[in-house]
Amino acid sequence: MFVLSFLLRRLLQGALIILLVTFIIFTLLRVVPGDPARLIVGGMAPDEVVVMKAKELGLDRPIPVQFVSYLGDLVTGDLGTSFVRPKSGASLGGSSFDDATREERAKVLDLILATLPMTLQLAAVALALALLVAVPLGTLGGLYPGRWPDKLALAIGSICVSTPNFWLGIVLTLFLSVKLKLLPAIGYRGFSYTILPAIVLAVEIVPFILRTLTVSVAQVMREDFIQLAPIRGLSRSRTIFSHALGNSAIPLINLLGVQLGMLLGGVLVIEFIFDYPGLGLLTINAVLQRDFPLIQGIAIFISVMFVMINVLVDLIAMTIDPRLEY
Amino acid sequence: MADIAHENVAPRPAAKRGVTPTRRMLQIAAARTDFRIGLVGFALLVGLAILLPLVSPVDPIKIAYGSKLLPPFPAEGWKWPYLLGTDQLGRDVLMRCLVGLRYSLLIGITTVVLMFVVGCSLGLYAGFRGGWVDAVIMRLTDAQLSIPMIILAITILGVSRPTVPAIILVLGLSGWPLYARVARSVALGERSRGYVLGERVLGASDLRIMLLFVAPVVLPPIAFVAVLDIARMMIFESILGFLGLGVQPPTPTFGNVIADARKYLLNAWWIATMPGVFMLVSLTCLNLMGSALERARNAVLRGEA
Repeated sequence: MFVLSFLLRRLLQGALIILLVTFIIFTLLRVVPGDPARLIVGGMAPDEVVVMKAKELGLDRPIPVQFVSYLGDLVTGDLGTSFVRPKSGASLGGSSFDDATREERAKVLDLILATLPMTLQLAAVALALALLVAVPLGTLGGLYPGRWPDKLALAIGSICVSTPNFWLGIVLTLFLSVKLKLLPAIGYRGFSYTILPAIVLAVEIVPFILRTLTVSVAQVMREDFIQLAPIRGLSRSRTIFSHALGNSAIPLINLLGVQLGMLLGGVLVIEFIFDYPGLGLLTINAVLQRDFPLIQGIAIFISVMFVMINVLVDLIAMTIDPRLEY
Repeated sequence: MADIAHENVAPRPAAKRGVTPTRRMLQIAAARTDFRIGLVGFALLVGLAILLPLVSPVDPIKIAYGSKLLPPFPAEGWKWPYLLGTDQLGRDVLMRCLVGLRYSLLIGITTVVLMFVVGCSLGLYAGFRGGWVDAVIMRLTDAQLSIPMIILAITILGVSRPTVPAIILVLGLSGWPLYARVARSVALGERSRGYVLGERVLGASDLRIMLLFVAPVVLPPIAFVAVLDIARMMIFESILGFLGLGVQPPTPTFGNVIADARKYLLNAWWIATMPGVFMLVSLTCLNLMGSALERARNAVLRGEA
């Protein structure tokens, strides 16, 4: 029952936040210079065509009216239609208004759903790699604060967080795929194409996990229930594995929820460098082509994911530590 | 005022009276090896970036075909004064890195100052006032935290001309909510402290209490951690440059130099690699300093030092 009321409250809050987000993004994209109707029909189209297109899309109405009708579509799951991307999947369709090859534009939601699995795959591999490296290192660092494992964790974290991802991507491509021919790098033609981008993304995630884990393990180890464990006759390894680690995981899980946005920034750039056909590449191309409905749709889609992941994170944290209340 | 700040953060033994927590944090940090390494390295790089372009006759922008694609120092065929080699247009890589570092630092530091000022003043106000002001500001931070700001940032910079002030503004406005949250939570705790009540009794206005008495207690620990954010913003700036949405060429920045040099990676690896190494070193120094400060702060706030 408690979980139900929690879910209901959080989902309501989430809906409010998403409404706010939609409003902010919608207005921002309307305020920036650039006429969408002109963008759709192309620079060479005569003015009448532009005006006609604007009327057809309802762009000549006041912004609040447009917003309400956009919201109406949004509720039914319709995120609108891309300005430049055709249904066939090419990145640019005939751009001029009288181009014979010009075809029906793709739905924003379809574009997002088509690229999302690729990004999830990349993110999952990267997260697994990062956890594999950072969890042992961070735990050791927290168990021996001030000693060499702690210093090692700090040093590795500092170097990883200081590495610009796009540069690392280029350098790794040069060494691993051009010089050593170990891994393929550019594009996507099978799972092996995920590994190199995932390594770069993992390097970006590692420092956050390391920092949080070192601090939280060190903190939990100072707690009374751990300090008193030897008196209860528990061995050190038993204390650490079954009492300390679970409790130290909570800040880590919270971190994953909060840092999603930052992770996304990394995904964007990394997909761009490796030409990896995921949500990030779609976003960058949408921005470079000024495809406003697509940008708007992606931004809203991501905030929905953000809200849902945070609810999920809180639920998991509550299961681990029943003392927590939200 | 120092005494008030000191007594209210954590009660100290009599011997340490008169030393403010901020001072103590700095002392602890300065005693750490990693902080010293970071400080020395960073000071050297910044000194180099500020001074060398002033005194050197080498122009980072001027094209000189006679000296194009010279390799860096130990490799065969390098020429003085091009220690790190030259790029495809004969421009000195070292000088371009240093100018890039200047822009990177300028944007990084101003952005963090902007974030800090906006976030902390809103957060302080929200925490100190409470009630509906608090609720509105906090919901605003919630909303902004759930907008993927990088998308908005690149959209705004992609549509309008990316100038230095525009970049600072966009990055700064995307980062304030975290500061607002932290400042608010600390201010909430300070609100009912004795010294605030005392000032109230004396008839001080809210603004006076906030700026003169609460802010000096609350802000320095947050400012310590902001050093880490400078590094983060410098990376962000270079990402924008890499995507072509940062400071525009011919002005060299880390991002646009690396993006440009990608084409010459196979026959002139140093053009893309050197700026990256430069960034890596300067950011590592900055991060070492930042994390040492953060640890010192945590130690003081826990009451261990």
